[in-house]
Amino acid sequence: MSEYTVVGQKVARVDAVEKVTGAAQYGADVHPPGMLYGKIVRSQHPHANILSIDTSEAEKLPGVRAIITQDDVPSGRRVFATDKVLYLGEPLAAVAATDPDIAEEAAELVKIEYEVLPVVQDVMEAIQSSAPRLHGDATKDGPNRREISTQIRKLSRDKENDHSDEISKLEAALEEYPDEVYYNISAESHSEAGDVEKGFAESDVVVEDTYVIPRVHQTYMEPHVSVASADSSGKITVWASTQGPFAIRSGIAGTLGIPLTQINVIGTTMGGGFGGRFGVIITHVPAVLLSQKTGRPVRVQMTREEEFIDGRPAPGCVIKIKTGATKDGHLMAREALAFWDSGSVSGASIGSTIRVRGVYKIPNLKVDAYGVHTNKSGTAAYRAPGAPQAIFAGESQLDEIAERIGMDPVKFRLMNMREEGDLVPAGAAEPKVGYKETLEAVADASGWWDREAGENQGWGVAVGDWTNGCGPGGVYVSVHEDGSVRIFHGSMDITGTDTAISQIIAEILTVPYESVTIRRGDTDSAPYSTGSGGSVVTFTMGNTAKLAAEDAHRRILELASERLNTNVDNLELKDGGVHIVSADPPKSISLGELAAYSLSTTGGPIVGKGSFARQPSTPALAAQIAKVEVDPDTGRTRVLKLVASQDVGYAINPMAVEGQIEGGTVQGYAWAMMEEMQYGENGNINPGFVDYRVPTSADLPTVESVIVEVPAPNGPYGAKGVGEPPITPTLATMANAVKDAIGVRINELPIKPEKVVEALKSNGH
Amino acid sequence: MAKHPVSLKVNGDEYDLLVEPRKTLLAVLRDTIGLTGTKEGCSTGDCGACTVIVDGKAVTSCMVLGVTASEKQITTIEGLASDGELHPVQQAFINTGGYQCGFCTPGFIMASKALLDENPDRTEEEFRHALGGNICRCTGYTKILEAILNAAEEVRTSA
Repeated sequence: MSEYTVVGQKVARVDAVEKVTGAAQYGADVHPPGMLYGKIVRSQHPHANILSIDTSEAEKLPGVRAIITQDDVPSGRRVFATDKVLYLGEPLAAVAATDPDIAEEAAELVKIEYEVLPVVQDVMEAIQSSAPRLHGDATKDGPNRREISTQIRKLSRDKENDHSDEISKLEAALEEYPDEVYYNISAESHSEAGDVEKGFAESDVVVEDTYVIPRVHQTYMEPHVSVASADSSGKITVWASTQGPFAIRSGIAGTLGIPLTQINVIGTTMGGGFGGRFGVIITHVPAVLLSQKTGRPVRVQMTREEEFIDGRPAPGCVIKIKTGATKDGHLMAREALAFWDSGSVSGASIGSTIRVRGVYKIPNLKVDAYGVHTNKSGTAAYRAPGAPQAIFAGESQLDEIAERIGMDPVKFRLMNMREEGDLVPAGAAEPKVGYKETLEAVADASGWWDREAGENQGWGVAVGDWTNGCGPGGVYVSVHEDGSVRIFHGSMDITGTDTAISQIIAEILTVPYESVTIRRGDTDSAPYSTGSGGSVVTFTMGNTAKLAAEDAHRRILELASERLNTNVDNLELKDGGVHIVSADPPKSISLGELAAYSLSTTGGPIVGKGSFARQPSTPALAAQIAKVEVDPDTGRTRVLKLVASQDVGYAINPMAVEGQIEGGTVQGYAWAMMEEMQYGENGNINPGFVDYRVPTSADLPTVESVIVEVPAPNGPYGAKGVGEPPITPTLATMANAVKDAIGVRINELPIKPEKVVEALKSNGH
Repeated sequence: MAKHPVSLKVNGDEYDLLVEPRKTLLAVLRDTIGLTGTKEGCSTGDCGACTVIVDGKAVTSCMVLGVTASEKQITTIEGLASDGELHPVQQAFINTGGYQCGFCTPGFIMASKALLDENPDRTEEEFRHALGGNICRCTGYTKILEAILNAAEEVRTSA
């Protein structure tokens, strides 16, 4: 890709110096004069009726400025629980005080009287009729009952014929599935293509398993934080650590019934997000309410413990999955039934269950998914929401099939992968994606084809697919009289996106990367921008930036045409100046000179505008191979090699792209091997880094990343979103490697040492 | 709560303060002095985001009471660059892309500096274990290790 000089280069990031010197301003670094400290009062029980809330003792503590409950929410929208709590840590009130320790003391002095109720934490228990109900019965039919009920409804609608016999037979058939009335259901999702029963009948091998994936926390290093300041005119300023300032603005407006014009959200440097930093109620709304009440700025900052009990983690999931294939390796059918643990509210990414289809030609597919209420906090997105869970089940079972028919797992996948034009099961035609190229790249780079495994060693492979989102964005570019280029926009930098935008604009305006500066506006000043999640930013803002730079490029040539007295067609912008093509002697004018000249023209300064909202995006694939060694005595798994390839379309900054691949892969590794939010009778029992272990540098070796570039037609320079795909295959990669090493499959994550020892015992070791 | 006089020596500057005994060194640095480069990630000494150097040793400042740090030499991330020159560890983090969101970065850089001051002659495996007290959620550690190995090389050759 040598045709470009700035894009495609490993330039240092635009925020490099501020981030290595401690100068970057994160949410908790904001400290307006007179600021108070907020603290949330939380439920001590996971399921209870609230009999009373008494704030009188807390109010007497010197330094306390305000205590608020749901009574102080004028809009009436639920911010604090009133009559009933549904999980440990659910907010009941909030305190503002002159000192964080006083706020904490006051929160402890708020007296709550509870009537404790029975608790349900496990999804498979929650769907039973015997389970405590969180939101009334909330029943839904399971797959068989659903099919029969659909037929009954269809027949009942036909008023011209008498179907009463058939209907009563069908009603009797319903009785055969009493366990298929699921309780505590928050949502459902169903997809179907072809005829799975026929597909299974045509299969030589059919495998059926249940996979269990735990709830895990995004564990961004900066806990949720918000600083809010309401002035005497009612104008509210919120410094928010968020992926989407505009979403926070509309969220606060909607929750509190305030017009958008009254709210300005300033996105602070974000200490990680991974999908979990879009919440409005968690800290932003309480901070606003406390500031309105006290007339002073208020910071609400969560502790790490609060993150674990009242963050919005990724949902756990139980997936029953069945796959059929012919003995020569053709996948024929797949069926999945998933129960997602959505916690106390709906919102788990149940639609992602469809990802069990993978990137394969499966003619017959049926997917049924349910969100299930439990006594836990609600969930949110975590890097490719729902995909790691579904793909873990799909890719693990694929290896079981490969083993039974005696095929190499990589060859088996290559043989079944979709190609351009193939129909995606329950979807549209496949565009050109580097599925095979990416899997072949990781197989080659890892030494898969001539792999060796010593005693207790094993190799595992898996692939995971994801498609970047797309959303609205706006960018302004201006050129100044010293030739420097300034960029203004409103999207949050999600670890490298500001750099990618800057590289694209420098490339088009042919200036050195160093002469470009980028500035983010707040919601009062910047054009609307979509949230920085769903791998959208480089795709959306990259396209937007390109349009803005091209607009500036047009104005530059127009000015040069005036100044050099020649037609625009004779002009070329290169090396930071406009040149008359084939002029002899050469004649040119620099961007700085043109910018200075522009100030006294009718048309005015050089300002380019880019505005963009939608273009179809292209799927991406991540493929990974791990080599592990398992100690049969301790059950400990050591990673010897972890290689990750990804079809990124085009790497605008290969260093940043590698960073995304490496980081996402390690998060996937952790979900497979270490992480699990654990719940006891009284809620979450591991709300800290000692009991909820995340990986450190001591836990695994260097991740080798391999960049594959199959350009996306609508991406800037062919780029696709790269943030989410790398986490999608790792859960299965690790499980498949452990299976290969010990000969026993562990279907329930994480693969902790004790489970390995147990599995080996049950296998006669 | 009664406050105690404390004399803190931070990045070569002296601060004479009155500090409540329950305030951690982290709280004093961030809230009282206003040096917010040191980050609070867990408040339980488990994540390393608040690492500063006290009398040559890397410590998690959330585990130290401010009143006990009186008269000790404290270096924070803000005190690492000198005369506009970044420290080799800071430069190495930039060159390798050893940070993403950057929230853990001050802690990693301070822990790395203390390790290099103590002994730059470590293998990759030794550095991996020595940095085990710092959590990064973005990078997967690959580029952080590359950064500290490059910085170690720089320190060794310039010594």
